[in-house]
Formats: sequence, structure tokens, C-alpha cells
Amino acid sequence: MTMKAQPSKAQPSETQPELVEIAVDGETFSVPKGKNLLEALLDVGEDVSYFCYHPRLSIVAKCRQCLVGLGDGHKLVPACQMTVQEGMKVRSKTEQVREARQAILEFTLLNHPLDCVICDKAGECTLQRQYMDWDGEASLVNHDKVSKPKKVDLGPDIVLDAERCILCDRCVRFMAEVAKAPQLLFAKRGDHTEVSCAPGEQLDHPYALNVADICPVGALTDKSFRFQSRVWDLWSTRTVCQGCAAGCDMELHHKDGDVYRQVPPKRWDLNLNWMCNDGRRTYRQLLEKERVTHPSLGGERTDPDTATTHIAEALQGLIGAEGSPIGVVLGADVSNEDAYAGARIAQVLGARLYLGDRPDDGKGDDILRLNDPNPNRAGVRAMANKDLLNTKALAEALNDGALKALLVVGDGLDLPAPAQRKLNALDLVVLSTPFSSALIKKASVVLPAAAWTEIDGTCTNAAGEVKRMRPAFEPPSHARPHWDWLVRLGVALDADLGFLDAEGAFSEMSANIETFAGASWGDTIPTQRLRFSGRRG
Amino acid sequence: MAKVVSIKRTLWDALYLPSIIKGLGITLRHFFVNTFTSREIETLRYGEWDLPDYKDNPAKPEGWRGKKKTRDLPDRHRGLHRLMKRPDGSARCTACMMCATVCPANCIHIEAGEREDATSRDIEKYPATFVIDELVCVVCGLCVEACPCDALRMDSQQMMKPVAHRDDAVQQKDQLMSRGATSIAVDGGAGADWRNEYARLGDARQIYRPDRSFSDDPIGYRIRNTDSK
Repeated sequence: MTMKAQPSKAQPSETQPELVEIAVDGETFSVPKGKNLLEALLDVGEDVSYFCYHPRLSIVAKCRQCLVGLGDGHKLVPACQMTVQEGMKVRSKTEQVREARQAILEFTLLNHPLDCVICDKAGECTLQRQYMDWDGEASLVNHDKVSKPKKVDLGPDIVLDAERCILCDRCVRFMAEVAKAPQLLFAKRGDHTEVSCAPGEQLDHPYALNVADICPVGALTDKSFRFQSRVWDLWSTRTVCQGCAAGCDMELHHKDGDVYRQVPPKRWDLNLNWMCNDGRRTYRQLLEKERVTHPSLGGERTDPDTATTHIAEALQGLIGAEGSPIGVVLGADVSNEDAYAGARIAQVLGARLYLGDRPDDGKGDDILRLNDPNPNRAGVRAMANKDLLNTKALAEALNDGALKALLVVGDGLDLPAPAQRKLNALDLVVLSTPFSSALIKKASVVLPAAAWTEIDGTCTNAAGEVKRMRPAFEPPSHARPHWDWLVRLGVALDADLGFLDAEGAFSEMSANIETFAGASWGDTIPTQRLRFSGRRG
Repeated sequence: MAKVVSIKRTLWDALYLPSIIKGLGITLRHFFVNTFTSREIETLRYGEWDLPDYKDNPAKPEGWRGKKKTRDLPDRHRGLHRLMKRPDGSARCTACMMCATVCPANCIHIEAGEREDATSRDIEKYPATFVIDELVCVVCGLCVEACPCDALRMDSQQMMKPVAHRDDAVQQKDQLMSRGATSIAVDGGAGADWRNEYARLGDARQIYRPDRSFSDDPIGYRIRNTDSK
């Protein structure tokens, strides 16, 4: 397995397509033959409006918003339904096209309630943006708008505002084509048409929340985000989902230290532009689990230096002892840098390395989610490969009494209860973890670690892609990354691990460990406020 | 071309100190005259414009030496905030956060709630909490301009009272609503029937302005034509 420098899983195998020349408003561009005309126009920087088109869904040309002129023909055609042909002459900026798009937009807005004031989509709404771009005028209709139900409970995660719906068909297509569970359909006719669940059905598919993302208006919204915050108040941090081993790219949207939602980045080449419901809810563990914020020694709060000195003193007699009585457990939830620091400490101590992982949860599917719930199993495995023992071996070693001291890095260790009871017999159990767990009562020294929202580092997904995680928050109180604790422990043991920050750890890791050769640290994408991050929608 | 004027500075000017002493003399003269004579000086005291017994009661408050002077606040004076009400008494605010977004001082904090009893014609979002820290407020009035619902106004004609404790200056929703009047302005402008509405008003330039002569009017505002004034 070779680690690649952040390639994209969704990228189809690239065979060089034949390039043809098309003229857009008199300007000539080279685009691949047979490509969707709307995609080609967007690629060359043309500002074409659209609602129903989505690169991962089939073409229906329902919204008629992407009208362009072709050749000398008077009649306009939707660009999303055309494919690029040699010598195509496209009119996209003429007065006729502008007027047509404006008229279509007015028609789309005919029954839209314009309740942007209370709409959760406002600020990232496609309709709002197109209105500002193409229309910007008051409705000429004197009649009352068709009124529809404002709050339809479609399922456990999604609520529908039928009035706001512009019938673009994206959600219906998503459920039918991507989720392969056609739970949504159109009911009624004419301007009374509504999206609804099939009779007796509810929208409970594990990917259902994607319809809230792809809805170009605020018709389908996430229940847990409903009325929680305006979009533009949130800050966005690009990081990696820690829900399973797939390691999808995602944006963490947060404000004042609280996570409000997790959404896939608006990049069509990354994880197919989808995320599963479970992945979107991983931030809840930050709220549900109790954080460890201070180092403690035998249950008593202490300061960081006392804790590391105590560990070093306790380990001093065991280093180099016969049968290597020290064990280091690398949780499969820690970053590559943490795992590398753990492996280095194990080297210094002459300790045995164990992998602390959780068993498969069987929630995998053929879209994104994998059965393996450990986000960085591949990265931790790469640290020692065959020398890395599993949890079963750890339980056996504890039963045999072969271990005298155990260093547990991360929250990933899932030890069976009988083996947990054996921990009492050890001289020293060190636990470096962000969250409080059952193991904490057995630990003689507890070191508070940074959670995955506070980490600057990399992790490796099951496909072997090294992805960069970026911190959204500062760790609370005395919490700090695992590698930081291990470097401090190294200082207390008079051992220099050779790095003092995460990037240093990464560059040393990629130099020393073969599987990481050529992996890149990744771009620095600063946390930015959605209000100032360009137009969304 | 600009005209160049040259000012000749004499030695007297260059000495500098005589002018200082002259100016100080004026200050000192005012000080002693005001201290030792019982001249009635017109004084406008901060924060007392709107005390109800102030204008009506001719008796001077204790320790008052100057001549009492009252003055009406201008129509567009920006005073304490108030939250306007719907005819049913609930707040007009829909917690859209426009005011909190535009506020340069970040002094407005709103938490939205959802009305479970909302019918299809009601607005389901409402402010569960609405807090303005009047000490942090820079009284710029942008929140009022940003409000799309005529829900937040600063035309209460009340000034911020001095407070003994900082927390007392933090206005909660009930305090803001206690100053509020009922507003029947149509959300989002004149509504679907805007052509007829504009025809009825006669002029699209008609604006809503506060009219304090109608203080008994529960609406608090009446429509006044700017042209006829």
C-alpha cells in the first residue's frame, strides 16, 4: 500500500478525451467532446444559472434556468440537456438570453413565499443568489400565492416547507438514483404539486440528509439545524470525518466553540459530494462524552510536569527489562503524528506495540460508509505493520501477567471486561485520551488529549489516502495533542523524539516510514467565516 | 489658483505666553462670576427629558439652582431600543438575526425558538431570548434600518438611564417589549396587493414616521406624506 498525496476517490479513470472547439459569445474555447454543455460553460467561467442540474444526478432540464442560444436558432435550449459538439456556437450573454432567464426566474418565484427572513437556507440559497444575479425586481403578480403546508415532518432528520419548494426534482432523483430508496415523490398536480413521502413511507434513509444540502432552496432542511443559527454567522473548517475508516472530506461549521453541523465541501470531486447521516452527527460525541481536561495522578488533579515526571520515574526500572514488560497501545482514532510519536516512544522504551481498535459495526454500504468504525486504522497500522499486535494479543498478555506497565494513546481501545480487571495488577497504566471512558478508573495517570476537532494533523483512510485535519477549536484547559504529551514524556525520559510540532512529526514520519513516502502535509485552509467566504448557493 | 495669504507674526504673537494668560483670564472670570453670583443658568440635564413629572411640575428639584430647560427630543432621536408587537401582543420579531448581523458592536444576542402552535399563516420562528447590552451599543441605528419586519425600533424617546451595575444595562426581551407598541406594518413591504396599496397611499415615497402628537394612538406611528409637510 502506497500513500498518495490527497488524491480524489471520486475521480474517474482519466483517459484523455478528444477536445473540440466551441464558440461562446464569439470567444473560442477547447472543451472535451461529448461533455455536458452546462458543465463545459461553467468550466470556462461562464456564469450560467441553474437549479435542477447536479453533476452526480441524471439530467431532467426541469427548471429551464440554464437557457442558452445555439447557432442562429431563435429558440433557446437548456444547456444542461445539450452535449458539446464540434463547432458549436453558444449565445449566453445576449439580451434575449438574459430576458429569458429573468422571465423563468420570475415564473419560479411565482409561488415562492420569499420568507428568507426565517429560512435556514438564506445565505447559501441558490434561488436567493440567482434572484440577485438575474432578476432583482418585485413580482408583477397581484394574486395571492398558492399556500402549502409550512412544516411537514418527512422523517427523523428532515422537515419540508412545501411552499418554498421550486420542484427542481433534485431530492427525488437523489433518493431514487443515489440512495436507491425512492422514498420521495411528487404528489398533486399543477401549481399544487408538492414533494412528499410515498404513502406509508418516511424519509429515513442513512443518506437522507444529503437532500437538505442539494435542495437549492430552503424547502428541505435539517431538523437539528432548524433555527439554530444563520448560515453567515458560522465559521467553516475543512477537516476529515472521523465517523468511519472512509475518511470523507467535510466542512465543520461552528460558532462560539459549538459545532452546528457537518457538511460535505462544495467540491464535486470530493467524496461524491455526499456524506452519510452518521458522519454528519459525529460532532454529537463531543457533547455526549465527558471531556478530560486536566492531568490526574491516582485520581487527583495534578500539573503536566508532575504527571510526565511520575510516568518517567515509574518506567525507568522497566526499560530494557527481560521480556519487554511495557506495552504501548495506539488507538485507531489518533492522527498519524500521534501514532508516530507513540511508536517512537515504544522504540525508546523497548515496548511492545498494540493496536487499540473497535470491531466492525456492520453499518457499511456501497456509497461511502465502511464497516470499520476506526478512522485511522490504516495510518496506525503503517507505523509497525507486522509488529503491531491486536487487542486480543493485549488481552492475552494481560492475562499472562507479561505486562507491568501500559501506555494507552487515544480513545480507541475496546478491551473486554476480564482483561480490563487485569489492569489493576499493573504497576502503571497511563491513559492519554480526550474523553472519559471506563478505562479511566483503571489508569494511574490520565493525560487530557485534544479531540479530533482540535487537531492539526493527518489521518489515513482505508483507501490509503493521507488527509489533513485542521483544528476548529483550541483544546480546553490542559488538553493537548497526544504527540505533545509523548514529546514531554520523551523529555522526562531524556529521549529526544526529534520533533516539536505536528508538521515536524509528519515530515520525520514520511522520511522514516516507507508507506508514507511521498505523502503531503496538505494545504493550509484557514478557518473562515461563511459570511466572507464568497457566494454560496 | 488658490489665493496665498501671508500672515505676519509679530514678536507679541511669537511670545505665546501672553495669549495663554489672556485665555486663562476669560476662563477664570467665568468661574468666579458663576460661583459668586446667583445668575440663573440654562441647563439641559442628561436623561431627564422624558421624566413625566419634569415638564409638568414647576417646582424645582432639591438642590437645583439653574433655570429649568426642557426640550423635545427630535423625531428621529435614537433612544432605548424597543420591540414592536403584533396585534395579538406577541413580538413582531422573527429572529432573522439581521440586526445582530449588522450590529458593529455585537451587542444584540438572539436565540430563536419555534412556535409549536403556529398555523399555516403564522410565522413559526420567534425570539426565545432577545438581549441588547445598552452599554455596548454604539447607538448607530443600523439594527433598526436592517430590521425587515418593523420589529426593532429606537424611537422610544427614552434615554439610557445611568445604572449602578453593568448588568442592569442589559435589556431583556420583556424590558424591550414593555416599551413596544403595536405595529400593523405589512411584513416585507406592502404585500401581494402592493399596486392597490401604493395607489391608496397616493405616493410611493410615503414613509412611516413617528408622530408623538399621537402618543395615545396604540399604533404609535401614523403615515405622513413627506410632500405635504
